[in-house]
Amino acid sequence: MTARFASLKARRALTLYGLLLTPTVFLAFFFLGPLSIMMVYTFLTPGLYGGVEWVFSHLNYGRILGWADTRYDQFDPVYISIFLRSVRLAATTVLTCLVICYPFAFWVARQPERWKNFFIFLITLPFFISLIVRLFAWVLILRPTGFLNQALLGMGVVAQPLDIIFTDMAVVIGMTYVFIPFMFLPLYSSIEKLDGSLIEASQDLGASPLQTFLRVVLPMTLPGIVGGSIIVFIPSLGNFIVPSLLGGARVVMIGNLIEQQFLSARNWPFGAALGMMVMAAVLLLLMIYVRILSREDKQAETQQPKEEETR
Amino acid sequence: MTAVLKIESASKSFDAPEGGKIHALKDVSLTIAHNEFLTLLGPSGCGKTTMLRAVSGFEDLDAGEIYIEGEAMGSRPAHKRPVNTVFQRYALFPHLSVARNVSYSLEVAGVDKAEIRKRVGDMLDMVGLTAFGERRIGQLSGGQQQRVALARSLVARPKVLLLDEPLSALDKNLRHKMQEELKGLQHELGITFIFVTHDQEEALVMSDRIAVLEGGKIQQLDAPEALYRYPKNEFVARFIGESNLLPGKVVATSGEACDVQLSDDTVLQGCRRGDLAEGTNVKVLIRPESVVAALSEGTSGQAISGTISESYFIGTDYQLVVRRDGLPPFRATVRAHTDASRFAAGEPIDLFVPHDGVHLIAAEGAAA
Repeated sequence: MTARFASLKARRALTLYGLLLTPTVFLAFFFLGPLSIMMVYTFLTPGLYGGVEWVFSHLNYGRILGWADTRYDQFDPVYISIFLRSVRLAATTVLTCLVICYPFAFWVARQPERWKNFFIFLITLPFFISLIVRLFAWVLILRPTGFLNQALLGMGVVAQPLDIIFTDMAVVIGMTYVFIPFMFLPLYSSIEKLDGSLIEASQDLGASPLQTFLRVVLPMTLPGIVGGSIIVFIPSLGNFIVPSLLGGARVVMIGNLIEQQFLSARNWPFGAALGMMVMAAVLLLLMIYVRILSREDKQAETQQPKEEETR
Repeated sequence: MTAVLKIESASKSFDAPEGGKIHALKDVSLTIAHNEFLTLLGPSGCGKTTMLRAVSGFEDLDAGEIYIEGEAMGSRPAHKRPVNTVFQRYALFPHLSVARNVSYSLEVAGVDKAEIRKRVGDMLDMVGLTAFGERRIGQLSGGQQQRVALARSLVARPKVLLLDEPLSALDKNLRHKMQEELKGLQHELGITFIFVTHDQEEALVMSDRIAVLEGGKIQQLDAPEALYRYPKNEFVARFIGESNLLPGKVVATSGEACDVQLSDDTVLQGCRRGDLAEGTNVKVLIRPESVVAALSEGTSGQAISGTISESYFIGTDYQLVVRRDGLPPFRATVRAHTDASRFAAGEPIDLFVPHDGVHLIAAEGAAA
């Protein structure tokens, strides 16, 4: 009897390890490996024509954070300001996506089943077209002689073409456009689960529509809001395609900087150090998120449900 | 008795998904007194939930008006009406603790904190959940959730409490207990309760008055006992309790009494309610439990004779189906302590019907 159980247990364990093996090996090889190489590179000296010299250096981080190799250059806070600008643009993108998606997700959630699926299909439709093509379309729309300005001039809303392309705004518009599906889907999944009778209960108990929103709807959809925000924030922060196409030379984000260090400046260690900084920021954010989630779970688990007590 | 709630010729119809209209309420009027426990009873789709939602402010009426303490509600939104609802699935806020659920209506009304704490404490004591304030909703059993829902909707002392089949999700024993508790609470607080259910037993146990709804109309509004003994029409007679409805005709009347001839020519004497003239076609209502299988010494009675075709022993009673030529199968519930062999299938039997066990209902189509 025990032997049979043991063998069953062993077999289960074996199956589990077998299933876990492939992704573990994959991640170790293609994720942890490169990441370790990057990490090591951040402490090395750049080679003259790219690559690295195996000489320890702390100046890659120093150049970003405030100590520089005084023999060659002064500390320049430009990297911190580019990083902060990236954070600002990514945060603006998150907010814009949220403002657009939240009401829309509510609207879709109230449609009949057939239409819901149709709208979700529409949301994912842009993925069928190359990102570069879609971004160039935005160049055509936003440039001074583009569609948007022609329309505004034609309607007499503005006298001069608006200077949108190659500004922060163009970058935010572009990133919002690219990342909207990532905001919509988590938001939608939490909004669709929202029980309509809770909203009625709130109104029934005397809460105005605004109170109902703040006290019931917002807290109940918070997981979707936080999830969507993180999923949009992370790729926005490191994005380099959108700023390079719609931001031009005027709007440089941290992603462009990293790209430049690897491809044109040939300073791999410095590029790696910048990359680590982005990753550190993202990790910090995720840790805060996990912390909030686990605290809520803990609250829910502190007391076990009891059987119906007798009075 | 002053009216706390008055519904005046309320009508409401919905678009049916397959086209056309569903008339959920047809010109319904109803007056409910202070501190009354009124039940809206009816099968699903009878309009009882629509009526409740119209009072709470979640449905606008097509025509008619609802007054709460003399004030016309019009299309006033739900959050401005002095009524609270206990929802069918409770609709408790899962992200708030038990105490915060209960305090919700006070918090949104801006009541000060000390007052809130006191009233929430009192309310939790009242429903027997004193120690459960910090729990999450998901950690409570069904009966406890039911009590939180009650406490939450009572803490603001509404003029009227609406209850939408609140006990339907509970198991039978718990349901009986909650019925008693509900009735007790209502008595204690002096708040008018409007209770919606499709469970007739529940309605009979708890209500001061019951409105039986069907097809968007109130079929009968009466105290539970009157409703059971003297249903006004066939629907009510069939919907509440077990019933034998025998076709018959009034053959003689004298004051309160009258004779009715059944389709097999048996003549029974019954009490006359309303103006049923001689010659009127009626349905004769005889409840299965109002007949007896044997007369005690010194009493006389009118008998229906027949043959037992089915017999079920259910503990205290036998349930019999008795057949007689010319009559539909007749159901009777008789005490089991008499000689059991008499109740075997195939045995002949005389069933005695007391005069007050014979209730006449004007046949559908005949003048009421």
